[in-house]
Amino acid sequence: MTQHDAGGSRPALRADRLGRRYGRVWGLRDCTFELPAGAVAALVGPNGAGKTTLMEMIVGLLEPTDGQVSVFGETSRAGAAQTLARVGYVAQDHPLYRDFTVADMFRLGQAMNPSWDQKLAAARIEALGIPLTRKIKKLSGGQQAQVSLTMALAKRAPLLVLDEPVSSLDPVARLEFMRDVMASAAEANLTFLISSHVVSELERICDWLIILAGGHVQLAGSADDLLEAHQLLTVPRDTQDAELPGTVIHRTDSDSPSYRHSVVLVRADVGQVAQRSRPGWQADPLTYEQLVLGYLQRQGTAATRNDPATVAQRPAPSTREFTR
Amino acid sequence: MIWVTWRQHRGQALCCLALLAALAVYAIIEGTSMRSAFSSDGLTGPCLARTQGTGCEGAVGAFMGEFGTVVNIAFWSVALIVPGLIGVVVGAPLIARELEYGTWRLAWSQSVPRARWVSVKLALVTGGLIVLGAALTAVITWYRAPMDQLTGRLQNNVFDFEGLVPTAYILCAFGFAVLAGLLIRRSIPAMIAAFVPWLAIRLVIEFDFRARFLAPLTGAMSPRCTSQAGCGWGFGQVPQATGRIADLVLGAKPGNLVIYQPADRFWPFQFIEAGIFVGLAAVALGATIWLLHRRAA
Repeated sequence: MTQHDAGGSRPALRADRLGRRYGRVWGLRDCTFELPAGAVAALVGPNGAGKTTLMEMIVGLLEPTDGQVSVFGETSRAGAAQTLARVGYVAQDHPLYRDFTVADMFRLGQAMNPSWDQKLAAARIEALGIPLTRKIKKLSGGQQAQVSLTMALAKRAPLLVLDEPVSSLDPVARLEFMRDVMASAAEANLTFLISSHVVSELERICDWLIILAGGHVQLAGSADDLLEAHQLLTVPRDTQDAELPGTVIHRTDSDSPSYRHSVVLVRADVGQVAQRSRPGWQADPLTYEQLVLGYLQRQGTAATRNDPATVAQRPAPSTREFTR
Repeated sequence: MIWVTWRQHRGQALCCLALLAALAVYAIIEGTSMRSAFSSDGLTGPCLARTQGTGCEGAVGAFMGEFGTVVNIAFWSVALIVPGLIGVVVGAPLIARELEYGTWRLAWSQSVPRARWVSVKLALVTGGLIVLGAALTAVITWYRAPMDQLTGRLQNNVFDFEGLVPTAYILCAFGFAVLAGLLIRRSIPAMIAAFVPWLAIRLVIEFDFRARFLAPLTGAMSPRCTSQAGCGWGFGQVPQATGRIADLVLGAKPGNLVIYQPADRFWPFQFIEAGIFVGLAAVALGATIWLLHRRAA
């Protein structure tokens, strides 16, 4: 729109060998990816994958141990005013001051952000039917999430980073929240990076995908390209991995007595599959969720064995990122 | 940022005002009756001013009997911890509450760098505490004024509430609590963790160091003391062993000598002690800003 496009073809977000170590443990390591301006990107991964660490380095809350991250061509530096002003951030559990009114929160946003758009904030909150004079603690979880998103939008930053924005919301509120995100993205040509456990929610609105597991980027790219580059094959149980086309990402062996088969997610395009295909093999259309789950299960760790789409477990309210 | 600080601390400010008002009400009631007793006991006349108490032992005894325990002992032991409580209650949540509730992610991801955020908040709250400390000191000084004429201002029970030190005590406890809040990340434990060392330092300085801030003087004992019993040191002992009512007598030496701190050392001692506590506060607050700035990195 305005300032956002100033960079022309510069990526909205670029991570280059980005890493963060907590003591002797790497929370995130060797993380490299690019996000074009206007993308709505899903950041998925199990608990402890490094999602929050990555986001905190992008928004300027945390300094990388290694590598760097840049927003519209400018390197992010933790605690630097320019970095902070370039990114709107909705932190996990959308923290707000509970005894503030909505109007107080906006006044805080205005006091602490030079480019604050009070008209946008007021109009948005009115459209949502949230009274300005109501205290935050009297709002529902969905309304609190909306106030947080409104504050991030009114900051007028070209990049928005949302950390698990819908995890505490009921299904209807999730739907409304995500619809709002999509509308804002389209309206103002904003770039979004959204983390979530709820893969199905993200599928609806995200056109870009970053899968993080074990502190590493497993996959990053446009959702359409990634879906095209992967196939889901059903093959006889005794098929060796070496016989399969491309790279095997994840394999589920079934011992059903009637038909011993395996379902395999491979990284291979249609051509490669056609070339190697044998009678009895079946290729199914791949969904976004299957792709994500395949990569998450690839790790074989305890954290990824659960279905991330339904895992409701919340990480302990964490100040760990801050402490170390 | 000024508005943000005010909005987050206005509840505390109102509580502090209420505390000040309660103290003022008590001070006016008790101070007024002390003033009228002071004159009706005959202490406003020449007996005290010209003779340093000699010749009005009876009047002093009567006045002390009525007010000495309440003003010097009871008030002192209650009010001793008040500056520490004010400091830790205001200081501990300043950062700890942001960490407890996760709002640090909100506060520090706005366009204001966190080092500036904390610097502005600390400056404004410190300013508020200085005003509060000065007001509390003024009220207590007015309240104690008649008593001070009998006890001098160097006695612990007086020194702790007048001049500069009450404000310095508040600031020190505040600084400790802000730092503890950053390190412990929980308001209540931070209050305790700040209050305990504050009280320890406070008492050690009061009882072990204050009387030796400057080398005590040795002088001849008042002739009255050598000739008859009934003079010594401490509250309401008229006259003091030096013969001057406001001196702080520390002990006696053979040969009718007395070791003491002269009354005119009140302000030098105030500056020394306030300097120690303000210095501790500055170190704690400086460390807080530095840690916060560095932890971003």
